[in-house]
Amino acid sequence: GSVLDQSLESLLHRLRGLCDNMEPETFLDHEMVFLLQGQQASPFVLRARRSMDKSGMPWHLRYLGQPEIGDKNRHALVRNCVDIATSDNLTDFLVEMGFRMDHEFVAKGHVFRKGIMKIVVYKIFRILMPGNTESIEPLSLSYLVELNVVAPAGQDVVSDDMRNFAEQLKPLVHLEKIDPKRLM
Amino acid sequence: GQTGKLMYVMHNSEYPLSCFALFESGPCLIADANFDILMVKLKGFFQNAKANKIESRGTRYQYCDFLVKVGTVTMGPSARGISVEVEYCPCVIANDCWNLLMEFMQSFMGNHTPGIPSVFGTKHDSIYSPADTMVQYMDLFNKIRKQQQVPVAGIR
Repeated sequence: GSVLDQSLESLLHRLRGLCDNMEPETFLDHEMVFLLQGQQASPFVLRARRSMDKSGMPWHLRYLGQPEIGDKNRHALVRNCVDIATSDNLTDFLVEMGFRMDHEFVAKGHVFRKGIMKIVVYKIFRILMPGNTESIEPLSLSYLVELNVVAPAGQDVVSDDMRNFAEQLKPLVHLEKIDPKRLM
Repeated sequence: GQTGKLMYVMHNSEYPLSCFALFESGPCLIADANFDILMVKLKGFFQNAKANKIESRGTRYQYCDFLVKVGTVTMGPSARGISVEVEYCPCVIANDCWNLLMEFMQSFMGNHTPGIPSVFGTKHDSIYSPADTMVQYMDLFNKIRKQQQVPVAGIR
């Protein structure tokens, strides 16, 4: 889901109340999306993410698979996910493997946790000159709100917990299951 | 339409949670163990030269500040040589301890003591990293792969 800039504070206030008691965590990340074109029609997508405000953190490489079959009945989108921490020469390495960068963006926002659920409220910024993360501009006048869980395969029951949590955020924000195919 | 490039995926028992991926004279990526899972997903895009799998297995000795690892290098069922790895643990700058390392190696390797590894090249003063170890093993394993199948001790 999403909220307009002016509603951000109310949403953060409610999330602070609902979520685990912890130090407020903000982040500023730079994400680059790489594609590998093979014989297959659809390219292989990898996401490389680095922290711009926390020094010494490893880079994060993520693979997200296609939505799982049988997905229509579940409340949440389920995808295979592989997360890898890497050294900071990740982009050089991906290019050497044959990947090409498709697009990049900066994400700035807040992270909340409730048990194994992670709630992320962030704003996407467009990078005006490739590779230069100093000059960026907001993509829209809203913040994206994402509720996600990383769990071992087969634990579909978490999607019920997610739906219940999402109910508690209404009417500030309506979280809906998205169809990634519509976005491609 | 890319010319065949070889990517080596290596594991080292000294760093059990890591996976090393390197290209010859290219970058060496240090990643966590999930990298192996990613490589399985990428199967369709790369040809797996599995027949070329090579490993060195042996004993690890700690002598004061030195670490000596002597292993038998095997490719499949056949033994192809012996590898000797020597590390001087307190120091992270190659240039500062090369002479000491050489002296130590001469005490038990005599004429087989090697010269300074090429992985240091001109950057003698940079901080040593596990990736430097893996590059040396890659070079050694490639030398052994190219050798004829005659039992020869290949020492680095």
